[in-house]
Amino acid sequence: MQKQSMTSKDIINNYGATFGFIIAIVVFSITSRGFFSGLNLQNILVQSTSLGICAFGLTFVLITGEIDLSYGGVIGLVGAVLAGMLKDGHSIGLVTLVCLAIGLGTGVFNAILIVVLKLPSFLATVAVMFLCMGAERVYNQGITTWIRDQGVLSIVQTNIGPVPALVLYLFALFAICWFLQTQTKAGQYVRALGENINAVKEVGIRADLLKFLVFVVAGLIFAFAGYIETLRIGGAVMYAGKQLLLSVLAACFLGTATFKAGKANFPGTLIGAFFLYTLLSGFTALGMKFYLVPVAQGLILIISVAISSVRRGKIEQVQF
Amino acid sequence: MNSPMGDRVGNQEDIVIKAERVSKSFPGVRALKEMDFEVIRGEVHALVGENGAGKSTLMKIIVREYIEDEGNIFIEGNNVKDLGIRGVQKLGLSLIHQDLNLIPMLTVAQNICLGREPVTRFGTIDWKAMGLKAADFLGQITSEINVEDRVEGLSNSQQQLMAIARALVTSPRILILDEPTARLDQKTSDSFFLFLERAKQKGLTVVYISHRLEEIYRICDRVTVLRDGTKIITAPINEIPQTELVKYMLGREIEQQVPKESVPIGEVKLSVRDLYPKEKGKDINFDLKSGEILGIVGSIGAGKSEVARAIFGADPKQSGTIRISGKEVKTNAPHDAIDHGFALIPEERRDQGLVGNESVRKNMTMAALKKKFCVGPSWIDQDKETAAVKTSIKTLGIATPSPEQEVQFLSGGTQQKVVVAKWLMSDSDIYIFDEPTKGIDVGGKYDIYKLIVDLARQGAGIIFISNELTEVLSLCDRILVMFNGQIIKELETQASNREELLFYVMGGRDYAKTVNDL
Repeated sequence: MQKQSMTSKDIINNYGATFGFIIAIVVFSITSRGFFSGLNLQNILVQSTSLGICAFGLTFVLITGEIDLSYGGVIGLVGAVLAGMLKDGHSIGLVTLVCLAIGLGTGVFNAILIVVLKLPSFLATVAVMFLCMGAERVYNQGITTWIRDQGVLSIVQTNIGPVPALVLYLFALFAICWFLQTQTKAGQYVRALGENINAVKEVGIRADLLKFLVFVVAGLIFAFAGYIETLRIGGAVMYAGKQLLLSVLAACFLGTATFKAGKANFPGTLIGAFFLYTLLSGFTALGMKFYLVPVAQGLILIISVAISSVRRGKIEQVQF
Repeated sequence: MNSPMGDRVGNQEDIVIKAERVSKSFPGVRALKEMDFEVIRGEVHALVGENGAGKSTLMKIIVREYIEDEGNIFIEGNNVKDLGIRGVQKLGLSLIHQDLNLIPMLTVAQNICLGREPVTRFGTIDWKAMGLKAADFLGQITSEINVEDRVEGLSNSQQQLMAIARALVTSPRILILDEPTARLDQKTSDSFFLFLERAKQKGLTVVYISHRLEEIYRICDRVTVLRDGTKIITAPINEIPQTELVKYMLGREIEQQVPKESVPIGEVKLSVRDLYPKEKGKDINFDLKSGEILGIVGSIGAGKSEVARAIFGADPKQSGTIRISGKEVKTNAPHDAIDHGFALIPEERRDQGLVGNESVRKNMTMAALKKKFCVGPSWIDQDKETAAVKTSIKTLGIATPSPEQEVQFLSGGTQQKVVVAKWLMSDSDIYIFDEPTKGIDVGGKYDIYKLIVDLARQGAGIIFISNELTEVLSLCDRILVMFNGQIIKELETQASNREELLFYVMGGRDYAKTVNDL
């Protein structure tokens, strides 16, 4: 059979959000003087780091056909523990281990709720988010804790060569995730079980175990995002995770509109994260009133996703 | 095979599958009753029986997707009791399901190699080797599929061939095919049979579940007939004539009390001409008269529901005209069809026909609410609504404690009546029932038959789609038999019988001649 060449319509359907991203960069570059400068572009990259990292964790879960919103609490909890333990004089090595343990613990807890007890993932992970928020509040008693140790802060607030360390972390994690997902058997099975879990079980793969591991990995990545975010800001602000809750979700869903129409994927998520901050930065550079920025972001999100949904829509059958 | 001697099955080296007194129950159903079943090395063994006879259940137990309640199964002498899905695959067994279980968005190569991806020495997937491996297995069946294509873009036939190729990856010595040709078109069928011939020559053992007589007689060596979860007979295929086989499948006539009464049949109400549904089916032509009950039968995948959905506008049509009382109408969407008096009572009533956690009243008036019970723009005249619902409950004999009862707590038959009541209220006069008695107990069935006859008496035209031949024969005035998307036979119920009907359902040609030849 002949391999079909893509029509222009297919390209728009498959890469809608990518086009939106490019158009946005061009438009902002023309209309605002400050936008297309090296410093501003670097800023966009740096600011989208923790969002991007967190979104990679969520992308793993979305690929399996589930959702995990616990990062909304894990990020804040990790931040509070990180800043608090440093303030109490613990070594950064120990603190880092504790932070990862929090991620591991919440990941395992999520996995037990969803894979073992078969709770719906949306509700279960929202509940875990609230539990983490509560724990954060108990731990830091609602006080913002700053980190004074320059040595610790330099883990993220430094450049390696000409490139900010944060950007390297982002791309390194992206490379790992993308490699796992596209080049390993486990990655294949994770994608496959999100599409048709019976097909995966039928060939004798332990689909439930894989799903369990995905939630654990996601928990670890969320903790890493919280760690990075706290060091980037330089301290633990109350409910830091809540700030990221919707942007992370938006980045992932913009990602589904980016490469594989309607399916979560890592390159898409990466571009989605950049896209969101580009919009934010661009609108600010244009001098848009700050309270209108979310409105503009929302509209662009709807348009990008709508373009890609056209293709998905035709698959759905009419029900009556 | 180096199995423990204790598990050996006597001296019968050549029995590759042996099931001994296997029983299996599902909630409310005894699917298999002390079933015995044997397959000999190198044969193509047909497994036939009506829907629900236990064919698929037995096969799923053999490949360990289900676990039997009692009994033993031996594959080449090995007891499979403690083996999992992978374990029996290692013994050389592979099942291709009726529902293919493919992953639509992955490529053909990824699907074929799922679970058995070739890896590079770094442990990553070797994409090039995977493509070659997939192409190799696919090439044994067809040369028309590109392994890089996504599965979602393949036709039904191509997906079926691909699923077979996937089963070959484990290098099976025993292949179980569950209705493989239901999805194949003529052209792909041929390449499929060529593949089977070659596989047989190479010594592959095949268990072949099918509803199609012609195929069974063409490729099978022996046949086992199942009925109601028990084995009726196993015999070489050339010792059982076709009509005999059909008789074994049906067993004794089970008299079912259907309130058959002759209703005067009126003018032609609905004419379908040259209908080509987009999903499945071609060249559909028939008339339906007022007061007539027209049966449509055919095996799974014959295209019955697709035709109904296309007429109703629930699925798109490629072409065709629909006339009501001689006037052409367009039914491009269900609401068009409803406006013209159509009602479709779908197969999956819980998903498609009812809102389970709403009351009987709300479900009943849903379709007619705007037309009949609204005052002004959208106020509901509740007194009028309640009165109409109460009348309906009474006339249809709906067993509900009150109009406010949530429908999910009613029995299947009663739910079905609520769906019908909904359409009655919106003044429908052409009813399409798609498997209305599926999953309904005997008493419930009776009520539904009675209701359908009542509708006919009031002058409605009725299309009755069913897999249960007994009910079709006793209820319908005329029967259309569909096979592979086409209407292949029209039978007058009075002049027909179960044997003849099943013969055509299974794709037989010219019943009278076949019977005479015996």
